[in-house]
Amino acid sequence: MALNLTRRKFLQTASLAAASAAMSGCFAKKADASAPFVRKPFTAPGSFAGTTTAVGGVCEMCFWRCQLVGKVRDGQLVKLEGNPKSIDNGQSICARGNAGVKLLYDPDRLKFPMKNVGKRGAPEWKRISWEEALDECASKLKAVVDKYGPQGIAIFPHGSSAKYPMTFFEHVVGTPNNSEASFFQCRGIRDTAYVATLDVAPGENVDMPNAKAIFLVGCHFGENVHVSHLKRYLKGLENGAKLIVVDPRFSASAAKADIWVKIKPGTDTAFLLAIMNYLVKEGKYDKKYVEEHGQGFDQFTKAIAHATPEWAAKICDIPAKQIKEVADMLAANAPSVSIHPGRHVSWHGNDFQRERSLACLTGLLGAIGVKGGFVAGKGPKSGKAGWPKPMAEHAEKYALHKLAKVHPYSPPGTPTDLIRNAAVTGKPYPIKGFVAWGQNPIQTIPDQALTIKMLQQMDFVLVCDVMPTDITMYADILLPESSYLERYDHIQKGTQWNFADPHQQFITARMPLVSPTAADHERKDSVWIVNELAKRMGYGEHIKVQSGEDMTDKILAGAEPPLSIEQLRKEDGIHVQPGVDPYGKALDVYFFSEDIAAAGFPGAPTYIPVPEPPKGFARLVYGRAPVHTFNRTMNNAWLHNEMPTNPVWLNDESAKKMGLKDGDSVMLVNQDGVKSRTSTVVKVTPGIRKDTVYMAHGYGTMNPLMTVGAGAGVDDQSLISKSAVDPETGAHGMRNNFVKFIKDGKELSIPA
Amino acid sequence: MTQSASISMADIYRFLSQSMQYPNPDWMDETYFSAINNFLDELGWQDEAEALSKSIGQGKEWLEPLQIEHTRLFVNAVPSVIAPPYGSVYLSDDGMLYGPSAVKTKQFYRERGFAPSGEYDIPDHLSFELEFLALLAEDDRQEDEELFLKEHFRPWFPKFRERVLAEGRHPFYRVLVNLIDFFTREELENGFESDET
Repeated sequence: MALNLTRRKFLQTASLAAASAAMSGCFAKKADASAPFVRKPFTAPGSFAGTTTAVGGVCEMCFWRCQLVGKVRDGQLVKLEGNPKSIDNGQSICARGNAGVKLLYDPDRLKFPMKNVGKRGAPEWKRISWEEALDECASKLKAVVDKYGPQGIAIFPHGSSAKYPMTFFEHVVGTPNNSEASFFQCRGIRDTAYVATLDVAPGENVDMPNAKAIFLVGCHFGENVHVSHLKRYLKGLENGAKLIVVDPRFSASAAKADIWVKIKPGTDTAFLLAIMNYLVKEGKYDKKYVEEHGQGFDQFTKAIAHATPEWAAKICDIPAKQIKEVADMLAANAPSVSIHPGRHVSWHGNDFQRERSLACLTGLLGAIGVKGGFVAGKGPKSGKAGWPKPMAEHAEKYALHKLAKVHPYSPPGTPTDLIRNAAVTGKPYPIKGFVAWGQNPIQTIPDQALTIKMLQQMDFVLVCDVMPTDITMYADILLPESSYLERYDHIQKGTQWNFADPHQQFITARMPLVSPTAADHERKDSVWIVNELAKRMGYGEHIKVQSGEDMTDKILAGAEPPLSIEQLRKEDGIHVQPGVDPYGKALDVYFFSEDIAAAGFPGAPTYIPVPEPPKGFARLVYGRAPVHTFNRTMNNAWLHNEMPTNPVWLNDESAKKMGLKDGDSVMLVNQDGVKSRTSTVVKVTPGIRKDTVYMAHGYGTMNPLMTVGAGAGVDDQSLISKSAVDPETGAHGMRNNFVKFIKDGKELSIPA
Repeated sequence: MTQSASISMADIYRFLSQSMQYPNPDWMDETYFSAINNFLDELGWQDEAEALSKSIGQGKEWLEPLQIEHTRLFVNAVPSVIAPPYGSVYLSDDGMLYGPSAVKTKQFYRERGFAPSGEYDIPDHLSFELEFLALLAEDDRQEDEELFLKEHFRPWFPKFRERVLAEGRHPFYRVLVNLIDFFTREELENGFESDET
């Protein structure tokens, strides 16, 4: 470079004119494109001048979907707040809700469609146009359909935006191979077990604010935060409800409990059977309710007659006296008791029976349709819009669990394990196209090595997400999606959070709080993306909605009275109307189910033992952290700052024997020799059993593109290499894995 | 500077801004390369001109490597985006987009009578700032131009440039950041450059 020439001197050289003229030729053709600036005289703003309130926000930092407003200044979202008109979360939102701002402006967010020009798992990205991306996705997916049939495609969806692509692949393309993490690795077992027992999916519909006793098995509210749900729980406690918490760990809920049952993991069903048997034997159950609404009660009592408190005490490693104490406390407060159905329930592969037990216990106490019991609020009506179902029958016919005649109580979709096995073995048919939409199967599904094997044998892998999560590393084409703050896609309905208040219903629709388009990215919403794919794959004729906005308007039009986006905006984002009294509805209780028995499973709730930890190992149990939603929030700078790692809880006496101190850095290794990729710190506490260690789920991101979250803490899923499968439902059980610690390269056994 | 020099400077800013856009054949073509070669010649940057023509000139496979490099440097890369082209990434404590410095930059635009138009959002994007400098140059508002460079552009650009120089694998972006650096450096009255790194 010429040393003596400065900018100023250069600008004075005579030859500049020629160089400059050549340059202006380069951008002249772009000059008519929208210029980044307009000339506009400056007016000095006051401190709040120009700050507007955008209504219609529905949070998706988790899936409880609190109603929001956004404070927007100059097109920039500066703050999120609860919508003051909300009768659900009200003005409250949680830490994650507040931190949505940081997701919106996270520089690691996906911005452009990208093609992997490296390898799956070791990607090298090239930005491509939407045109090229869509053409390639459509032709590759179509090729799979043509060669292997629609069932050759598997979709792994999660979240509101994934519903439209999910129903497209399932009902229009025609594949049954849909694995929703929210079912098969979370709550599906609960839903089908309650349907088999009470003929209704339970949600979290227990009337905690008005309960005299609240009974939680594994639920750790306070660590698990869903705003209106917590409001219900805390109002109940404030009103004097007794709290019983069954957990191997001194959780945030256990800390508030009247009785903490420090149970051995995997044995909860034995505990529940003993309670029910005791209540029956002592005549401390709701005889009238059982007589009027119980089905198969005699077979049930016979089947559980062996389950004495003493029998369970030995299995559960708790005093028999405590089992009676819990049963008596429930009976004394019946029927106003909230037997919580749980939410994440895919624990040990014996979970359908536990969920059946919870539903039966609810019925036994007559705690259905009454104050404090199992009561569902009645939300308003709304319409439907989306895909028709031209290929639903085809999908049904090729469902793997139906072909193999297994898992008759599977939640909607196909059990993940069957999909993965079919893909890896090619039997009973090949699965060669893979679509992940908002789900990160690397961290949701046990046995990562097998999941990766499944991905590697695919002809084509498409991933659409907001953030570069671990699954995106395996994509051939990676599509960037608008966030929940920038799109239309979800209708949220419900009631006032406390049934003791005047009965009301609400309906709201997610609306963008800020513009979905900007110069620095090309993100699109799922309705647009899937419609474009559908047109290119030859399914254009089935398109019923033209955009997210169109879909939202069509669903709202079916409400009573009919609504619209425009109307909702006029009503500050939420339509509220008088509701109905939710109490008084009794449900039949199938204590013994002929159907379940006919399907080859125990007709009465039955305890099935789970594998024990090998010597020197402790059972790995995981759960929620209040400031994170699994892996989804790991790259959020504010939330990361609050909880940058996931300490592993270790019993204090064990720690002493192992020579570990609180805060020591360790890695983990499991029973199959799988080592954690990263390390975390030890939390030494008397608040956990010696046979159990615990950590928050979702840490230890492997994708270096998540620059905040990558490598922070330990990925619990990486240590869950052995899957259990719940036989009735086909859903995974993920708490039958066992770990040791590694400190300074040395393996440390955990004393029993 | 004369009036014509100011107008030329506007062209240069725009040209540099254009050059940092995603490489697409609709602008990155024969005309473009002859312009940048001509430009480097006039500057006397022979080595740079040579490096460019070696990597881009004759071979036909030049576009895709450039696209990959652009994605790697500025969009997404393993292990992390090398050099996000946003000021506040380098200036805010937490390295986030749309940090306080971006808000101040937008305020500066507004005070000078320019409002970001339409759906352009993040105000401290490199191209955004260069386009703004072009507008000031066009209006011959040298004082504002110098002030913007000093208070908004130079505080972060050298850090961005450093990362591109250290991590860039393609000569094109190394040359580009050096060009931008050359034309945005503060100059003292006597024609010497100030030492700011």
